[in-house]
Amino acid sequence: MTEPAVVLARDPVRPAAADAVARRGVRVEVAGCERRFGRIVALGGVDLTIEPGELIALLGPSGCGKTTLLRALAGLEELDAGTIRLGGIDVTALAPNRRQVGMVFQAYSLFPNLTALANVSFGLRLRGVASAARRRRAGELLELVGLGAHGDRFPHQLSGGQQQRVALARAIAVEPRVLLLDEPLSALDAKVRTQLRDEIRRIQLTLGITTLYVTHDQDEALSVADRVGVMDQGRLQQLASPHIVYERPANAFVAEFVGSVSRLPATVGPNGTVEVLGRRLPLPPSAAPAAPGDRVDALVRPETVAVRRDANGLGLVVGRAFLGAVSRLDVALPGEVRLIATVTSIEATTLGPGVAVSAEVTAPPLFVTAPSSARSR
Amino acid sequence: MTGQRAGRRRRRRAPAGFRVGAPFRWAVLLATAVYFLVPLAASARYAVQGNGGTFSLGALTLMAHDGALWSGLLVSLAIAAGASAISLALLIPTAIWVNLRMPSFGRVIEGLTLMPLVVPTVVLVLGIINAFKDLPGFFFGTPLLLAVEYVVLALPYSYRAVDSGVRALDLRTLVDAGRSLGATWPQLLRLVLLPNLREAILAASFLTVAYSLGEFVVANLLTFNTFPTRLYEVGTEYADEAVAVSVLALTLTWAVLLSVSVLGGRGASREARRSQRAAMTAREARRLGSEPFGRPAAEPGEPA
Ligand SMILES: Nc1ncnc2c1ncn2[C@@H]1O[C@H](COP(=O)(O)OP(=O)(O)OP(=O)(O)O)[C@@H](O)[C@H]1O
Ligand SMILES: [Mg+2]
Repeated sequence: MTEPAVVLARDPVRPAAADAVARRGVRVEVAGCERRFGRIVALGGVDLTIEPGELIALLGPSGCGKTTLLRALAGLEELDAGTIRLGGIDVTALAPNRRQVGMVFQAYSLFPNLTALANVSFGLRLRGVASAARRRRAGELLELVGLGAHGDRFPHQLSGGQQQRVALARAIAVEPRVLLLDEPLSALDAKVRTQLRDEIRRIQLTLGITTLYVTHDQDEALSVADRVGVMDQGRLQQLASPHIVYERPANAFVAEFVGSVSRLPATVGPNGTVEVLGRRLPLPPSAAPAAPGDRVDALVRPETVAVRRDANGLGLVVGRAFLGAVSRLDVALPGEVRLIATVTSIEATTLGPGVAVSAEVTAPPLFVTAPSSARSR
Repeated sequence: MTGQRAGRRRRRRAPAGFRVGAPFRWAVLLATAVYFLVPLAASARYAVQGNGGTFSLGALTLMAHDGALWSGLLVSLAIAAGASAISLALLIPTAIWVNLRMPSFGRVIEGLTLMPLVVPTVVLVLGIINAFKDLPGFFFGTPLLLAVEYVVLALPYSYRAVDSGVRALDLRTLVDAGRSLGATWPQLLRLVLLPNLREAILAASFLTVAYSLGEFVVANLLTFNTFPTRLYEVGTEYADEAVAVSVLALTLTWAVLLSVSVLGGRGASREARRSQRAAMTAREARRLGSEPFGRPAAEPGEPA
């Protein structure tokens, strides 16, 4: 996994034009949603409220239930328990075609027998919009996603990125109350992905539409979302703004899933401190109860680790990855402990594999947990 | 799930190492052509040959004036049309439902559709007689019975055709997309699924029609007068004409299949043209009108 992009405070002011258009933002309330497939618990009681016009990115490992939650919101998956409200109205029992929820899928989902324009106007056609009006509206939407000139192309004549743009236009053409995006960019290459994710955010802000955006790319989640939800094993582990999720993870899973961390053996010291790599640091506020003298694992971000070339150091550089301005070092410490550190690429030139180093933690750990027996990571 | 399927489709292309040379391909094609065409050409020649090797349309003229042959042909065509209509009405929903809701059940269905190949025809006919003999006369003893019978007998071929068409679609995604856009099931079927299954539908009706036009044993055992049974009679009554008859039968079946295929193909391109024309009109309209979202109609900054 790559390092997360630098998280900037998001400008809360929306484009001036947006408020004129904003009309569709409704509140989404998910309460106690459960869904099982045989013995697999896809959703184990999810509670989630999305404010009107908000974009929440849902992040989580494969199989944690993200798609299931989205499909449940769209009415494509039935729930074993729980309720879903859109704009205050209970839609739990409503058929998908009556929910007014727009969805963009991970797989290419354009109707192969229809042109881009006909795909976009499909929903309007079902709603009995007159053909001229429908074509004009579909044309506008293709324009909005930057494909005004491609209306007469069939899906197989469009690139993957273009197909997903058309799918987005198709989903918003019917003015849905909620927009659901299920890893819409996962099949695209990195450059198109960044470009398109920013465009999705722009359009979402312009329309002011409440959006749930599923991804397992953390850069994507952290960079476009108002709030990020982290899911694991059918449960929402944390829901907070991107920098809170990154800086103050609610639990060890979130800490390890978002961004990268090293697990370092540590000892709880007196007066709310913890000793890591020979340094005494404040015990993180979210830690589980720990008494002085307890052995714990401290979770440490790579950017809070300083590595120095040191012939007497206990660490040994075993890997180095150039990431542009910074480089990532993989350092082996005694006791099969692995440490990841980011250093400037200039520093890294002298820290190749095989170099002995000493390492130091420069900021309080994110989290401390019970020591894990499996050290080999 | 869907991603995997797309991957599988891509991988289906033959790996470079397996490509065979053009000469080999031509040789295979030629051998196949010889195998099929030489007997056909010989029969055709024999059909237009009079006594002593002269050219004669005698055999064919005799056919043309055979009223029973013509009425048998009408019955056969009606049965073929009925059989393919019934089988499409049964198979399309079944294949869609199985692939969407219980894919693991697909194997069982597939096995069941093979039964007509396993059970001897005579047994089947006896079964039919026993099962249906108490039904009112509008069914038993009418061509409808035979049409239903052919639906069953052609199942091993027609079900496979429909099923492979359905599998080639990303059914789940298309259905989900359509449903979330507000389509009811009938709308989904009419506007999305059937148009995308056109080829599979054609193939299935093709096979059912061909089967119905050529089936002899069951029709004969149930004492129907169809095209093949009449051809058989003609063949036994006038031994000389037997070959002319078989050439005629072949040509006829072929002509029917060709027209099914041409009609289907024309429908497809008409639909595509309509869709494309609509898109072009919209672009014209937009060029003349205002640009509501204030974005220039630029090409997207992304390679196609
Ligand atoms: N139709 C189904 N039948 C059986 N099990 C299912 C079905 N749909 C989902 N599951 C299971 O439910 C769990 C959650 O699946 P889901 O598709 O929601 O995961 P996800 O978070 O979207 O994963 P990914 O990131 O890989 O898309 C998985 O263990 C999956 O195998
Ligand atoms: Mg998923």
